[in-house]
Amino acid sequence: MAVLEWLHALEQTWIGEVVRESAFPYVEGTHVLALSLSVGTVAWFDLRLLGAAMRSRPVSEVFDSVKGWMLAGFGLMFVTGALLFAAHATKAYESWSFRAKIALLALAGLNTFVFHLTIDRRRLEWNAAPVPPPAARMAGLMSLVLWLSVIAAGRFFAYDL
Amino acid sequence: MGWETLQPVVHWLGDSEFGQWLGQSPIRIAGLFVVHLAGLTLLLSGTIVISLRLLGIGFLSGPAARLTRDVDPWRTAGLVVTVVSGMLIFTGGAASYFDGLWFRRKMALLLLALIFNFTWFRTVTHAREGRFSPWQNRVTAVLALLLWFGVGVAGRAIAFF
Repeated sequence: MAVLEWLHALEQTWIGEVVRESAFPYVEGTHVLALSLSVGTVAWFDLRLLGAAMRSRPVSEVFDSVKGWMLAGFGLMFVTGALLFAAHATKAYESWSFRAKIALLALAGLNTFVFHLTIDRRRLEWNAAPVPPPAARMAGLMSLVLWLSVIAAGRFFAYDL
Repeated sequence: MGWETLQPVVHWLGDSEFGQWLGQSPIRIAGLFVVHLAGLTLLLSGTIVISLRLLGIGFLSGPAARLTRDVDPWRTAGLVVTVVSGMLIFTGGAASYFDGLWFRRKMALLLLALIFNFTWFRTVTHAREGRFSPWQNRVTAVLALLLWFGVGVAGRAIAFF
């Protein structure tokens, strides 16, 4: 298998080795706690989209307040996630939990993309509404469910290491 | 009163039929970890949201007390979910958790964080606008973030050190 050979080579790089043999607890700990910045801030935006929290605040204000932290959080998740992957690339590739996590990540990304291309384009019309329109609420609910599933798949993947 | 006075309770809990049943299955414990992580993400990100307001960098419309009233139900739910799932995880491996240095550090920090949360933090975040100076608000936010993230860091350390 060409892919497995390539992933094996990735594990043998010095980055893979350093993460696997000494830095793992720090990289993994950062990955887990950065959930609060990435998924955590997204969750508050989702709750606002659902009309379940901060109803009296414009949707834009919630988004603008968390935007920078959200991006920093996802940047941190991506970098630490890539490092963890380099340390255990072949096990990750062979793990069904890991495959599910990547698929769920893609779905969460797709949900965000569709939201921005559709109902979010008309945000000015419902920006101040305590309870946004059904399509926006659906996007918020999907996001919460998908991110919770990503956390679950990630946690179960730890048992395949 | 030292940690040792709690030993009998820990052993009773760990040896109980329920404790044994919980500890037997990695799947049950993994499920509890997912709930623990989801609750933690909500608690930490809720703390971030309130702190952004106290630091004067986000959620600036309206008084801090109104934002706190909005965020509190979800943030408190996150705290309750994290604590309850944590107690169940502990029950599944009581004796070995209890002997761990980082577990004890985590519990000490958690106690501090809880006391801080329901006294100082509660007072400052519910106060009418202007009662506390901007610097008092900032110090409160930094302390809240340090304490709650500290509990998280100590929690991750249990798994590795």
